[in-house]
Amino acid sequence: MRLFSLQFTLALASFLFSGLAASVPAPVVVCYPGGPVSEDDANKAMSAMLNVVEKVGGWPTQSFSSAFSSDVEGCKILLKEKKPAFAITSLGIFLDQRQSLHLEPVVQPKMRGGSTEEFHLVAVKGHFGSLNDVKGKQVGGTVFEEAEFIRRIVFAGKLDPQKDFSLKPSKQAIRALRALDKGELDAVLLNGQQFAALASLPLTHELESVFTSAPIPLMGLVANQKASSPEERNRFAKALSDMCSDPDGKKLCELFAIDAFVPASQAAIQPAISLWEKGR
Amino acid sequence: MQYRARVLILSLTVILSGCGALPNRIVLFGPVSGCSGVSEESLLASRNSLGATTSTDELHCAMRIARNATMPSFVKSSLSSEIALHLAERQAPGADREALAAEGVKLAERSLSAGGKQDAAVHYYLAANLGLAINDHPVQAAENLHRLEDELTLAVKISKAVDQGGPLRLLGMLYLKAPPWPTGVGDGDKALSLLKESVDEFGDHPLNHLFYAEALFEVDEKTAEAQAEIKKGQLLLANGPWGNNREIWQKEFADVINEVAKAPR
Repeated sequence: MRLFSLQFTLALASFLFSGLAASVPAPVVVCYPGGPVSEDDANKAMSAMLNVVEKVGGWPTQSFSSAFSSDVEGCKILLKEKKPAFAITSLGIFLDQRQSLHLEPVVQPKMRGGSTEEFHLVAVKGHFGSLNDVKGKQVGGTVFEEAEFIRRIVFAGKLDPQKDFSLKPSKQAIRALRALDKGELDAVLLNGQQFAALASLPLTHELESVFTSAPIPLMGLVANQKASSPEERNRFAKALSDMCSDPDGKKLCELFAIDAFVPASQAAIQPAISLWEKGR
Repeated sequence: MQYRARVLILSLTVILSGCGALPNRIVLFGPVSGCSGVSEESLLASRNSLGATTSTDELHCAMRIARNATMPSFVKSSLSSEIALHLAERQAPGADREALAAEGVKLAERSLSAGGKQDAAVHYYLAANLGLAINDHPVQAAENLHRLEDELTLAVKISKAVDQGGPLRLLGMLYLKAPPWPTGVGDGDKALSLLKESVDEFGDHPLNHLFYAEALFEVDEKTAEAQAEIKKGQLLLANGPWGNNREIWQKEFADVINEVAKAPR
């Protein structure tokens, strides 16, 4: 689930690293399911980023190591093999791996004034009267990489995209929306960031939301409770919370439309956990 | 053009590398013999032969002339920026490369001020130098994405033929590697269209085939078609007059071949 951009994900990772004071390489897994980026490219970027962070933070070079995956299964393998104390994951991966890896959310981003987002199933205006009308139709979007998350959380178990839609996943939302505009798709599922930016696209047809999810928490940094201490988690949380008021960090926050980083709200995330468990 | 949009765009994800303006340092060259016959006139007259096969000493001579050029037709042309780019590309990544590329940007800006706005090559070499200069400075890269897009779009509009489809090639790679909508200008459809055009119109340049292969693979997951394009590019690279660029581009090919080979069968 791409809850926020790759840039943001990696940016967040860099600030994570800036909070570390490791004397040995500390692996951090970064998951970006469904992202339109090769893992080689991303890992090169992560390595370069680590060099910069090490320099800025005054740590010896090669203090940290990173592991990136844009594939759900690949990410799970990395989490299992690397056993990182900290990871940057989608909400879907967090929910899926929460119990087995003892994951605890540490920090959430605040974007467009909040730390939640709504998903929207959009279609050409007037084509469908309700979500039921979309059943059996061709539906696209970048978010279907985590189909189980979409089923359990976005549709709250009321609909199974894999059974109820003819899915046409895409690596780029803009391609799916163009296909919708040309009549090659019937609907597209968008995350909050994509939906908020719809007006910037020069589409022929007016689109409308056929379905809007309940508010879903944005996920950021998570920690393995057994591999990290409360002090380390607090340190990360503080480093990230201070980020957008830091001179360099402020520029970055503005660049990626992040208002701030805030301590993760267990109360806000609990409903998603309950829905996930209910959907088993 | 060996500057790679790939590296530029990925570098956008790297932060805290410092903001601010491009380097404002002149890279000095050691003593070079044989510069006495080089002039603005001679460089303009031989500009079509300037490139990958030109020796570095010759480029040093040319750069000295370019820095102090006064002849309006020379200043207005893209030649100074092109010389800077050739020199920058021959440097290892680091401060000297960035300084030379940044100087290439300033020389292109000088050309624009001198009346070169209708010259596609000026816009093209400005963008190529800018990309190289900010390669390792992601905040700057992010800030300059739209400028890169604008300069390359102008170059495409005025003339696609510069550097055998260079404007198509770089703009295509910008769209392929940039973060996609809604966070960036990245656009797989645009990338495919531009890079296909570069292959169709300027099929003798090996990088046009390599970059189109990347787009086919990354956007449409067409592995077999991507491999076919890579083979065409490799053949051109092996047999063409690519001089100093051959070795660098071979590495580029190897990277893409490796990436494509990892694709699920």
